[in-house]
Amino acid sequence: MTTMSMKCGINVDFRRTTKFDSVTHFAYGFLKLSSCRPEISRTCIFPTKTPEAFLHGVGAGRSAELDLSTKESKSTYNLSDMFDVVAEDLLTLNKNLLSIVGSENPVLMSAAEQIFGAGGKRMRPALVFLVSRATAEISGLKELTQEHRRLAEIIEMIHTASLIHDDVLDESDTRRGKKTVHQLYGTRVAVLAGDFMFAQSSWYMANLENIQVIKLISQVIKDFASGEIRQASSLFDCDVNLDEYLTKSYYKTASLIAASTKGAAIFSGVHSDIIEQMNQYGYNLGLSFQIVDDILDFTQTPLQLGKPTGSDLAKGNLTAPVIFALEGEPELRGIIESEFCESGSLEKAVGIVEKCGGIERARELAREKADRAFENLRCLPISSFRSVLEQMVSYNLERIE
Amino acid sequence: MMSVTCHNLEFGRIRLDFVGCGCSSNASPNRFPVRNCAEGMLRNVCRPRKLSCKKREVGRCRVFSTKTPETFLNGVTAGPPTVLDSKQEKKGPSSLSDMFEVVADDLLTLNKNLQSIVGSENPVLMSAAEQIFGAGGKRMRPALVFLVSRATAEIAGLKELTIEHRRLAEIIEMIHTASLIHDDVLDESDMRRGKETVHQLYGTRVAVLAGDFMFAQSSWYLANLENLEVIKLISQVIKDFASGEIKQASSLFDCDVHLDEYLIKSYYKTASLIAASTKGASIFSGVHSDISEQMYQYGKNLGLSFQVVDDILDFTQSAEQLGKPAASDLAKGNLTAPVIFALEKESKLRDIIESEFCEKGSLEEAIDIIEKCGAIERARDLAREIADRALKNLDCLPESSFRLGLEQTVNYNLERIK
Repeated sequence: MTTMSMKCGINVDFRRTTKFDSVTHFAYGFLKLSSCRPEISRTCIFPTKTPEAFLHGVGAGRSAELDLSTKESKSTYNLSDMFDVVAEDLLTLNKNLLSIVGSENPVLMSAAEQIFGAGGKRMRPALVFLVSRATAEISGLKELTQEHRRLAEIIEMIHTASLIHDDVLDESDTRRGKKTVHQLYGTRVAVLAGDFMFAQSSWYMANLENIQVIKLISQVIKDFASGEIRQASSLFDCDVNLDEYLTKSYYKTASLIAASTKGAAIFSGVHSDIIEQMNQYGYNLGLSFQIVDDILDFTQTPLQLGKPTGSDLAKGNLTAPVIFALEGEPELRGIIESEFCESGSLEKAVGIVEKCGGIERARELAREKADRAFENLRCLPISSFRSVLEQMVSYNLERIE
Repeated sequence: MMSVTCHNLEFGRIRLDFVGCGCSSNASPNRFPVRNCAEGMLRNVCRPRKLSCKKREVGRCRVFSTKTPETFLNGVTAGPPTVLDSKQEKKGPSSLSDMFEVVADDLLTLNKNLQSIVGSENPVLMSAAEQIFGAGGKRMRPALVFLVSRATAEIAGLKELTIEHRRLAEIIEMIHTASLIHDDVLDESDMRRGKETVHQLYGTRVAVLAGDFMFAQSSWYLANLENLEVIKLISQVIKDFASGEIKQASSLFDCDVHLDEYLIKSYYKTASLIAASTKGASIFSGVHSDISEQMYQYGKNLGLSFQVVDDILDFTQSAEQLGKPAASDLAKGNLTAPVIFALEKESKLRDIIESEFCEKGSLEEAIDIIEKCGAIERARDLAREIADRALKNLDCLPESSFRLGLEQTVNYNLERIK
């Protein structure tokens, strides 16, 4: 978002500590934002994006420009097409999210917009809606419940909050090709925005008044934190084994997805066997997703990734391809343990991983998890919704074909 | 090795010091092996990019915490007040640890449990938490939970505190601690109670992670209490915290802020948690909702009174007493009760504040105006008025040493500004 006009009369000192300024709303509901360097100054600035722009960002059929999975253009699967069956649900979600987050403070809103609008696919809420509708048939529900919708909003808020904090923790400058919240607004706003969204989601969750789901989601939030800690504690640790990697991937990624699918089934009121299958579906899909992401970190270009290639490895975060490669390549171990202090060593490491078949083995692992996810769907009646749930699995695998 | 017991007032360096490199390998400065000693002391390793500090790095040696777990277990409850828990302990007729004597065992158990909850995940997190758990904290909120629990247990005929009572106290203290850690990141504070803040010592990343972890843990324990009323109560608090921070951040240097807004913000930031503590405690005692409501009001009034007093002390105490620079609220543009009262009369003050103290000496000038114009006295009156309400809220409780402890907490707070 670019600066437009400066309306306040006071001259700004950019060295000031970050503070939020007084803000007025326009008749059309445009929000005034500030988008200077890390500090926010005492000027009022106007966004170039209307609320409508990002309301329609994903839900209404057009892929966001920054949805950089370029495989989308030539693949069989296109996420926004797939989500067409729940497009209305996603539109409503977007509106509600805007009002939940934005009503508190416009600068928070713009921070959230930065990430909400940053090419996000709304995959998790879509899964909630798909599973909700797929299982609603079984229990004879005619329409999604308020709890279903709220669950989807909570999930997306938690996801967003974790991304904002993750970027602070990783000190990332870009996400999906855009600047991160903390790069743009400073660490303080990022921490505050993340905290606020976690708090909001906790509160909405409590007000769902379903102890089972409350415990489920609280577990996820705890898992996120544990996953971050595990990852931070084992950077550059070449003794990490595949189980630890899968556990960490579960905490960081699959846990939330599994809770989404399971929670949706709970609110549909189906039998606990089906609830468990939905839990497993989310778990396997989530793991498969993470493994694919980890593969792409090696195989895609910076332009496609929206960040440098091999950035996980560069930070010492050793993922499936690397773990497989380490089994056969002692030279790789040496390079990693040196933490790439030598110029060109990262490229060398990436080369080793590619050549020794580490990536191929990771692909197999991803397919294995994906197959299990398909199995988990068998308990659902045939429907357009089940079909899309299957397509999700395939779409994910497509990314690494 | 530096001794870093509580009596060491040298704060200019990181708390954990080098002992010697026990590592055998000559790997680069970024290793992270961690082991526990036989005596259960924690070894921590700091390294860049991992859970460690940045420039204030400790380097790659394994370092020992000179604080044994016992030291900070006993830090508050069982002995003489630590040097760092200053000022109020010396002046008042009753010190906090005396007042909390009646629940001393409860607090000891709490400390043990907290350590194991937080420390079991990761030792560096542990030391970050230790930094703040051990930083002269008075455990006031858990003490209130225990006092109200025991005071109301009598009414309900409960013989002993329930596991829910204890868990509630732990949750409350974790939330409080997590909010302090994040607060210091948000305020960019270097010092808290005379010690370096977590983020100053370990970097922003560890601070954010430690805070997130503790919020997450408390949410999880809260959910597993399986009491919807309390879950909603506490979730509201966490939401209030975030809202309070935002309100404060949005109104820095805003001289049009008036007393109601200040009180709302103070409620969100301080009183909300205390009110939830006291109300939650009585809910778990199973008493009538009228009493729970009185306990809520007690907590709210105590909390507000507490905040007003803190805001007064920010002007009246020295940096050494405060453990941070004096008038730091004002310097940051956070306008509290004394300032709001002073602004009613002193237009010059308004100008100085709106200039955001860009001129040298203007902060001192502002403090001077505030002190001379009687605003601090008015703030004192406000604190007393709110405190009186808190005392009234206790009328519904039977006489007991616990009710007495609750009354004394109100008075202890007022004593700080005599």
